[in-house]
Amino acid sequence: MDEQELKNIANLAKLNIDDAEVSSMLNDFSRIVQYVDEIKNLDTSAVGDDEIYEQIFYELRKDFAENGLKRDDLAKIAPSYENGYIVVPKVIET
Amino acid sequence: MKDLIYLTYSEIKTKLNDGSLKSKDLVSAYISRIEVTDSKVKAFLEFNKENILKQAEESDNRRKSGKLLSEFDGIPIGIKDNICITGEITSCSSKILENFRSPYDATVIQKLKAKGFVLFPRLNMDEFAMGSSTENSAFQTTRNPFDTNRIPGGSSGGSAAAVAASMLPVSLGSDTGGSIRQPAALCGIWGLKPTYGRVSRYGLIAYASSLDQIGPFSNDLQGIADLMEILSGLDHKDQTTAKVNSFEANTVSSIDWKGKRIGVMKSEEFSFSPEVNKRYAEILKDIETKGATLVPLDFSLLKFAIPVYYLIATAECSSNLSRFDGIRYGLRKEGAGKLEDLYSESRTQGFGAEVKRRILLGTFSLSSGYYDAYYGKAQKARVLIRKQYAEFFKSVDIIFQPTSPTTAFKVGEKTKDPIQMYQADILTTSVNLAGVPAISCPAGLDSNGLPIGLQITSHHFDESKLLSFAKSVSELEMCKLALPTEIT
Repeated sequence: MDEQELKNIANLAKLNIDDAEVSSMLNDFSRIVQYVDEIKNLDTSAVGDDEIYEQIFYELRKDFAENGLKRDDLAKIAPSYENGYIVVPKVIET
Repeated sequence: MKDLIYLTYSEIKTKLNDGSLKSKDLVSAYISRIEVTDSKVKAFLEFNKENILKQAEESDNRRKSGKLLSEFDGIPIGIKDNICITGEITSCSSKILENFRSPYDATVIQKLKAKGFVLFPRLNMDEFAMGSSTENSAFQTTRNPFDTNRIPGGSSGGSAAAVAASMLPVSLGSDTGGSIRQPAALCGIWGLKPTYGRVSRYGLIAYASSLDQIGPFSNDLQGIADLMEILSGLDHKDQTTAKVNSFEANTVSSIDWKGKRIGVMKSEEFSFSPEVNKRYAEILKDIETKGATLVPLDFSLLKFAIPVYYLIATAECSSNLSRFDGIRYGLRKEGAGKLEDLYSESRTQGFGAEVKRRILLGTFSLSSGYYDAYYGKAQKARVLIRKQYAEFFKSVDIIFQPTSPTTAFKVGEKTKDPIQMYQADILTTSVNLAGVPAISCPAGLDSNGLPIGLQITSHHFDESKLLSFAKSVSELEMCKLALPTEIT
């Protein structure tokens, strides 16, 4: 793990790491990766890919509509709300 | 009469129902206790006295008019800050959700309200339930009531400390890798992580969805049993809840140790502090004398549990916490330029160091080029751990282990070393990976007067057996509850 790789991962995670943080974070992160590397010593060849997704129980609910949250309740917690709509910052760049 | 705050959960339930105690009197006693004690313990993030008293008064009025909601009506219960309650702030002890008021109730909250419990939100926790000491809260560090220079365990440290400091009889926490059992052990009370799928996670703000479970803390075992009966059950809002026979509190009764096969650890496999080791050996010797057979199990696979846990939990957290982007949820960094900047600046300012570390590890293990070696491999290792538990339960009735390798450490002692901190959960994480239920029971105090916990683990959905063994453990002389009256 090097500085550039850490910055790439941070970019994927949408986190900024400033230069002052890089070295301590790199140190922590490298130690954690080294620690979890221990699982490479475990033989998992006997486990099939399909077994990972094994679930003992799942019961899907019936496909019918029910009342969700009321608009008024949403309006109370939205940071910005106008004419029945939640206002968000501009997300399409022109 | 015994001071109200030192009543056990069972005594409270009996007294409320025989009319010798009013909920308002009890709640007022707890409020006075909190006002004096919580400046030292710092278990509560928020405390709405008027609202709590109003709930208690309503309960007393229901009782007076013969319209009780249940035999639990009027019992106070604390709520961890990651469980949603309509109209209340649910911040996960994070700046990113500092002002988030939930527009809905978690299923467990609906169930508690339907029974008439008096809800005491909000109890402090490690940010987004990530931690083993409650030092990662963005707002305050909770202290251990047995010694306020020490941590209470984490991440549900506020929920455990509130019960241990006699500020409440019962509370709710959540457990992803030991976050109920470990603080229960370090605070000397009972704490249960139910079988995965037993209790709905709807309304619990997710950390790692395949591992998280809500569960109770209590100052007696009856509180754990009653809350399990109330909270468990299929919920169509959480498709991972299981359609199995419901748990009934009245199925819990002391067991006869004779002929019981107890799975135990070979001492050389893990390193515990000498006093934890000593107490574990004393308990095993005692139950052996009473007729139980000890069966040493091969836990060597479980040394991989922490790496496996951190790979799976962080992968799920990087996905779950992606919703906190400044648009959909959470703090919005105003004035950011491009959309990408808004996301990253909001997240960078909103999340604390440990949360960022875990998001980075999760993003790393899911990223192209590393997925197979880390996340994929960890998933396969998890299957082996699950199978290992199934194998164990073919030869033993139950498993006994220490809950935590040490008693409570000092505030700040491990904060600079994440690996050392992660190892505080070495005996609890494998239970979450396997999805089996486990409880931490009080097991006396060490020579510094700090609590030791005994973890008992049973097979999937066998909470009845689990709590029956726990009941018998609670009857052992060395495992009697001993909570501090003076908080210093």
